[in-house]
Amino acid sequence: MPSPSLPKFSTTVETYRTKLRDASAQVRDLRALEEVRNQFLSRKHGAVTLLFEEMKALPAGDRPAAGALINVLKTEIQDRMSALEAKLKAPEKVRPEIDLTLPGERLPWGAAHPVRLFQQELEDIFLEMGFAVAEGPEIETDYYNFEALNFPPHHPARDAWDTLYLDDTLLLRTHTSPVQIRVMEKQKPPIRIIIPGKVFRRDVPDPTHLPMFFQLEGLVVDEGITFAHLKGTLEHFLRRLFGEKLKIRFRPSFFPFTEPSAEVDIECLACGRKDPACRVCGGTGWKEILGAGMVDPQVFKNVNIDPEKYSGWAFGLGIDRTAMFAFGIPDIRYFFENDLRFIRQFHLK
Amino acid sequence: MKISLNWLREYVDVDLPLRDFLERLIMIGLGIEGTATIGGDVVLDVETYANRPDTLGHLGLAREVGAMLGRPLKERTWPVDEFASSTAEIVDVQILDEDLCPRYCGLVVKGVKIGPSPEWLRTRIEAMGLKPINNIVDVSNYVLFATAQPIHAFDLAKLAGPRIAVRRAKKGETIRTLEGKLVALQPDMLVIADDKRPVAVAGVIGGLDTAVSETTTDVFIESATFDPVSVRRTRKALEIQTDASFRFERGADIGFAPQAALMAASLLTPFGGKTAREMADIYPKPRKAKEIVLRGRRVADLLGVEPEPAFIEATLESLGFSLKANQSGVWRVLAPSFRVDIEREADLVEEIARFYGYDRIPSVVPALEVLENGPARKERLGRFSQQLFHFGFDEVINSSFADPEKEAVLRSGFSAVAIRNPISSKAAVLRTTLLGGLLENTAWNRNRGLEGVHIFEIGNIYRPEEGRPSELLTLGLCTTGPLALPHWAKRPEPAAFFHLKGALEAALEALRYTAVSFEDAPHAFFEEGRALAVACKGERIGRLGRVDGRLLAAYGIDGPAYAAEIELSLLFDKQPRTFEYVPLPKFQAVVRDLSFLVDRTVPYQEIAGAVEKMSVPYLERFELIDRYAGETIPPDKAGLSLRFVYRNPKATLTTEDVDRAEHKLLMALKAALKIQRREGGSA
Repeated sequence: MPSPSLPKFSTTVETYRTKLRDASAQVRDLRALEEVRNQFLSRKHGAVTLLFEEMKALPAGDRPAAGALINVLKTEIQDRMSALEAKLKAPEKVRPEIDLTLPGERLPWGAAHPVRLFQQELEDIFLEMGFAVAEGPEIETDYYNFEALNFPPHHPARDAWDTLYLDDTLLLRTHTSPVQIRVMEKQKPPIRIIIPGKVFRRDVPDPTHLPMFFQLEGLVVDEGITFAHLKGTLEHFLRRLFGEKLKIRFRPSFFPFTEPSAEVDIECLACGRKDPACRVCGGTGWKEILGAGMVDPQVFKNVNIDPEKYSGWAFGLGIDRTAMFAFGIPDIRYFFENDLRFIRQFHLK
Repeated sequence: MKISLNWLREYVDVDLPLRDFLERLIMIGLGIEGTATIGGDVVLDVETYANRPDTLGHLGLAREVGAMLGRPLKERTWPVDEFASSTAEIVDVQILDEDLCPRYCGLVVKGVKIGPSPEWLRTRIEAMGLKPINNIVDVSNYVLFATAQPIHAFDLAKLAGPRIAVRRAKKGETIRTLEGKLVALQPDMLVIADDKRPVAVAGVIGGLDTAVSETTTDVFIESATFDPVSVRRTRKALEIQTDASFRFERGADIGFAPQAALMAASLLTPFGGKTAREMADIYPKPRKAKEIVLRGRRVADLLGVEPEPAFIEATLESLGFSLKANQSGVWRVLAPSFRVDIEREADLVEEIARFYGYDRIPSVVPALEVLENGPARKERLGRFSQQLFHFGFDEVINSSFADPEKEAVLRSGFSAVAIRNPISSKAAVLRTTLLGGLLENTAWNRNRGLEGVHIFEIGNIYRPEEGRPSELLTLGLCTTGPLALPHWAKRPEPAAFFHLKGALEAALEALRYTAVSFEDAPHAFFEEGRALAVACKGERIGRLGRVDGRLLAAYGIDGPAYAAEIELSLLFDKQPRTFEYVPLPKFQAVVRDLSFLVDRTVPYQEIAGAVEKMSVPYLERFELIDRYAGETIPPDKAGLSLRFVYRNPKATLTTEDVDRAEHKLLMALKAALKIQRREGGSA
């Protein structure tokens, strides 16, 4: 037996270190790793145990230094084992063969109907201004649809509102205006509402007409309400919808239920008021967008609101017709064909 | 209304560039729908309104233009050559119904040499889009388009009597009109009759028998005012619309009737016409000018701007009103007879606003105080839609109209409300179900290459009811084909009954409607044994199922398809559960899975309902995690695996606690439904 000495012991430790490196490099799976671990760390005959046995033969003065050498090796072995284990247990990380550029998975998601989306957009602008939403029946009486709105029976003004009748008294509402009457009958001023809904006219379908379409009506009634307020509010609304610099024109018109009445035109966004042959504005540079006016005193009388004390204004616009203009849709019938290729586009809106 | 610029210039000077002129017309409310150049003339198509019959002639338009430009109208005179007799001496003119004819003027013109009109008259008539006929007819039309007062020329020689009686038609009377059509007259219609028969339908059309012809030399010119409602009813009943009836039903200028007759006589003078020295003018109750009090303060209150009193006076006077200042800022205004639309102060305010300029009225956003908000329905609909979008359903909107034949195929179980005057037979009733539209949309999209069609609609359906049909807000769903687009990693699943049911359950749950139950209920929409009725708090609110092959065939859909319909009106009448925050549990739950062998005839809803009623201690919730059938199970049975989650909110559960609870559960299930744990099943 050769005489033990610290330098010789140190060489032995180094030999094990080399063995560890070689053995580690051979490890391909967890089983091989376990073998290497046993070879070096087994309590009974692992390299570390054997080294501690060998150390006992050293002179007492050399033993602390030898112990330190073994402990460094032991830490090295443990670190190497953990690293190998981690590497073996996470094999994906080392297998790059998946093509990450493949398309991702999507959950199907439904799209809202563009008329509904646009209606929501219009409503939101008025809701911000403190308007509330009111609704009413689609089947109406002649009284609410016409008479209370100051259309006398047999008046030619009715001709512009060609009506679908169910019987002598019932009809499909030709505008959302009857809801004005229903609200004013029940509610005292101040009133500030918008009324969205389906309306019906006896119009033969063509690119700009359908017997069924959607309207948005607005009504404000309070003390001291003026035509200037009508202008201010509608200008704000239209500029929110179509842009801050939009040119707007109010011109006199006639509706039986408002006096004075106005038609509101906005600049033609399709041609920028420049194309004399523009399909959208007919070359006038203006697009008629809504009708409005101060509530007629007779309408107030019909609902027992004192026209001397209160004044108000109302407006109405076609939701689908305005959407056509806003999106450049040439035919109103597209909205109700319900072609999903059409509808889904508005998902991006 | 066609307006010739040259003709207009006979009444008022217009020297603006055309573009500026049209712009200004638009800004006083005379919309321009088109312009055409005819010869050396420009003819405008002016938008007029039902309340402004005075603008249906060049004179009325000229008044508007005069007020707009601040120019007076040119004076015109209408000289005639008279003969010694008065009209009354030649024709006996009587009004027998003063309500329907408040004024009737007649004027005899003799010795007219009938023939083609001179060039100037032909040009005017052609500018109105009419063909010149002869000088007498053309003069009548000229007066109408010049003044908006319709006149009619009878051949005096053909009037029996000669007599003119303005009366209601007698039962059984007929008239052959100028158009050659024989029409039956009703006793509520006003006619002009001679001694024997009606010779004109008052205000609508003249009769052929007494019409001007090549042999005519003497004419009786009628210029009258008829009741607008009567004219409208008559022309609607007879389905005859003329330039005359169009004006009379809007209201003619009662003050102008004699002047129009005189004008016609004057225009016939160059053709040898000699005019009776006096016209017959029957005007039993002369109308007073309408008087309206106008307050300057009110103008400001309505417009939000205060025009100068001088502006108000000048504007109204130039429009033909006369004003008397009562006190400072208050006027008594007399309306001219041609302004039949003016009745109230507000009407005058509009006149002032029109000529002040809408563009000069300031824009002010009103001060807004907080008002109470509207109904919650909108918000609920929004939530419903969100859930359905989440499940991949696209929203559609269909017509409320339905084809009665399609309704008959659908068999909703309700008769449809009919439209009395539908546009087409295919849109003759109101829909009783949303399913028809949804199936049509499905077929449409399928035909355009889309395989998966998953759609919903929220809208009214209509049902006949005593008195007034009901409108029921309804949700309809329809799903067919793959639920997603093809994907490299996942084959999309086809639409299935339970996908639809899940979407529906989720949507109802999103609104906190939890007391929802289902039961087998056959329905014509669905295949037998593949249909459920949906109830909320015990009331039926809708149905779902696999669409019947009969409907798939009728709409041309390659099935299968699944559909549902929920009456939201009924649902929204019910109170949903209120939202409550629940604190997170402090103690761990114990999860136990149990497998059962169950008769196939026992619906799962019954088992779940039984468990819910049992009050098993600590049972927090349970769910069905597997269902299987196969060789290991008798053919009339199904294996169900349920996961039970137990929790004691106040302490940690012991195994003994759970065992006792589970034992109670098993005993109760056995007693209630004879359900047993499956031997050897997973536990």
